[in-house]
Amino acid sequence: MSTPEAPWDVVVIGGGNAGLVAAITAREQASRVLLLERAPAALRGGNTRHTRNVRCVHDSGDQYTPGAYPYDELWRDLCAVGDGPADEELASFTVRESASVPGWMTAHGIRWQPPLTGTLHLGRTNRFFLGGGKALVNSYHRTAAAAGVTVWYDRTAEGLEFTGNRCSAVLVSGRDAGDPERIAARAVVCASGGFEANIDWLRRYWGSAADNFLIRGPATNDGRMLATLYALGAAQAGQERGFHAVAIDARSPRFDGGIATRLDCIPFSIVVNSRGERFYDEGEELWPKRYAIWGRNIAGQPGQIAYSIWDAKVNRLFLPPMYGPAKADSVAGVAAELGLDPDAVATTVAKYNESVVAGSFDPSRLDGCRTDGLTPPKSNWAQPIDTPPFYGIAMRPGITFTFLGVRVTADARVRTVEGGAFRNVFAAGEIMSGNILSSGYLGGFGLTIGTVWGRTAGAAAAREAVSP
Amino acid sequence: MNDGGMSEGPFAEADRQLTICNACRYCEGYCAVFPALERQVDLTAGDITHLADLCHDCRDCYTACMYAPPHEFALNLPAALSAVRHHTYDEYLPRLTWPAGRRGAMLAAALAAILLLAVLGVIVGGAGAPAGSPYRVIAYPALLVAFGLPAAWSVIVMAWSAARYWRATDGRGWGGLASPAALGRALRQAATLRNLRGGGADCSYPGDEPSGARRRLHHLVAWGFAACTASTVAAAISQDFAGDPPPYPAASAPVLFGVIGGAGLVIGCAGLLVLRRTAASSGTAAREDPALARRGYALLAALLVLAVSGLLTLVVRDTAAFGPVLYVHLVAVAACFAIAPYTKFMHVIYRFLALVRHNSEPVQR
Repeated sequence: MSTPEAPWDVVVIGGGNAGLVAAITAREQASRVLLLERAPAALRGGNTRHTRNVRCVHDSGDQYTPGAYPYDELWRDLCAVGDGPADEELASFTVRESASVPGWMTAHGIRWQPPLTGTLHLGRTNRFFLGGGKALVNSYHRTAAAAGVTVWYDRTAEGLEFTGNRCSAVLVSGRDAGDPERIAARAVVCASGGFEANIDWLRRYWGSAADNFLIRGPATNDGRMLATLYALGAAQAGQERGFHAVAIDARSPRFDGGIATRLDCIPFSIVVNSRGERFYDEGEELWPKRYAIWGRNIAGQPGQIAYSIWDAKVNRLFLPPMYGPAKADSVAGVAAELGLDPDAVATTVAKYNESVVAGSFDPSRLDGCRTDGLTPPKSNWAQPIDTPPFYGIAMRPGITFTFLGVRVTADARVRTVEGGAFRNVFAAGEIMSGNILSSGYLGGFGLTIGTVWGRTAGAAAAREAVSP
Repeated sequence: MNDGGMSEGPFAEADRQLTICNACRYCEGYCAVFPALERQVDLTAGDITHLADLCHDCRDCYTACMYAPPHEFALNLPAALSAVRHHTYDEYLPRLTWPAGRRGAMLAAALAAILLLAVLGVIVGGAGAPAGSPYRVIAYPALLVAFGLPAAWSVIVMAWSAARYWRATDGRGWGGLASPAALGRALRQAATLRNLRGGGADCSYPGDEPSGARRRLHHLVAWGFAACTASTVAAAISQDFAGDPPPYPAASAPVLFGVIGGAGLVIGCAGLLVLRRTAASSGTAAREDPALARRGYALLAALLVLAVSGLLTLVVRDTAAFGPVLYVHLVAVAACFAIAPYTKFMHVIYRFLALVRHNSEPVQR
């Protein structure tokens, strides 16, 4: 099917943060910009709906981020997670560019709020936008509409049509079955996210463990555009098993449970697997620096499930779980309620309690309250679990987004396996996050990547469209 | 869930939603409800009532919520909390054996007030007062009785309801009411409608787009009401202390306050009614409890009748229509005095008490 209509200057695939930023940026130079949003308007924004802050370099504090966070410190933080940055050049560009991100966001309609309570330690490094991700998406849509960006909802980009090295059209399907519509484009920005909601795809790298993964974002993040780009010869960036995953309530919905289902009890608890055994240091680091490893930790346990157990002493120190914890007057009672072997859990807790070294408990810092002679140890916030009532909760890996994506050039062009790059196809956001992140994650940095690369891709796509 | 009422509809649903909110907390910057919620781990019916009245219905939490319908969590906190408020407005009224129920009591109070005014008007009359004086319709002492009795009734019912409300929602006794700092902060927040600012984002009302219209119109209504009260007080001072009986010239305090206040009420109430109609037709009607929405209309309509009839008395005071128009206005005032505690007028008291409790609780960080 071909339509005689004049081609769009820039077609942006995906209506999350990266796509919106790309569309708004592209519209500054290009006159006809189209954004394709796969969801209906009420659910627009993809994973961005579930975000709440952005991590950026700032050389001085202000009312929202009360202290400096210089380049070197953010760079060190990035190097400390997982295997460090994937591509140092692109990662350092991202960190450098992050300094101008908050100002850009403010200028494009985003409002801020002081750091949320219960987000200890994030206040200095991360900036919280008022109302969270959906409010951000709403604001960007207002800005985009005022700037003259066209948005189509309920549209899925099924494929790209190429003439030589140049994409000439996006094949788009609507809600109705039928042949995809051919949307002619001078430049295309792929900001369609990862493939975390595609369980079959996850199974290729994780085997049947993927069946026990819960996906924190919408079911539409199935990686269709990523697969299309690979089929067209795009080069791969990032590790196949690279993802950002956290511990979430095992009772969460399979898709789109977002922030409310995550659990912050781990550093104040002990975590056992289905055999009732501990398997990782719960008090290794401050929670904002370690929360992102627990999805992976649990993914490595039998049945991809683990159980956090705590007592009355610490029950108010973390955000209350959405579905409520199991509660009983004894450790064995909680274990039984969780479907665990009460004897095994009671033995684990008793052994742990005996190994706790007396110290001065302080949830706001690495307090050195630790175990002695226990494997694995608990290095901080270790207190005996001895005060009824006892609580417990079952946790599964909650996958936020996958890192495996397409390789890009410094101006966000999608690279090909032959070593070149597509002339007019660009990528931004999670679909290219594997250029920067390897296996670990730094809270709020997904938004940074999306904004920096949304701007880069949007500007480059507009230039390509206006003067090819 | 600690007590009886919690298993009932509006509380159970509000509890379900607030539990999700407390695990999310993204809306913390919008208003006082979320910081207040975060102090709680297990919500009681009193806590939920407190949060419901702390909510000023800006609806920013709805447009910002990724769990709003069609999401399966189906969060609609403005509607859930307004359903609890609707419950609140009935729950704390004095329980009378006769007339039973809110409607019965309201009707009886209104009829009694109107009857009282009519009887006094016939018995006492208003002969002797100069032209343009309100006392040509009914003599001053009779008017005092006709307004004083329903007003006293109202004050007693309101105080009774407020006391029951405070006992039910405040965990720490009467101390909060005696804290000048908490009272001062609550007064300032009430006077500025701080909780309708959405943390700087304004309201998501009447539609999805941010707008300060509701806050501004509410200011006109609230301050208009205050100016009308000031007009009455000024008139009382002029008459009883300065020995200067009505009618008052256009450039006098009673007339100026009355005109300004009446105009504020008319513009504010009419504007809020228009916003309500817009909200109802823009598909956002589901963000409010329908029964409470009807009471919202009723309060605005009643205030509009008061303001328009009051302004009319001024306009026609040198004509033959003055007597009938004034009579309509007096009937409206007496009836409204009598029924105020049974209407959404009580939001003034409950919201203020909620703000007092909120401001006497420790700040969490």
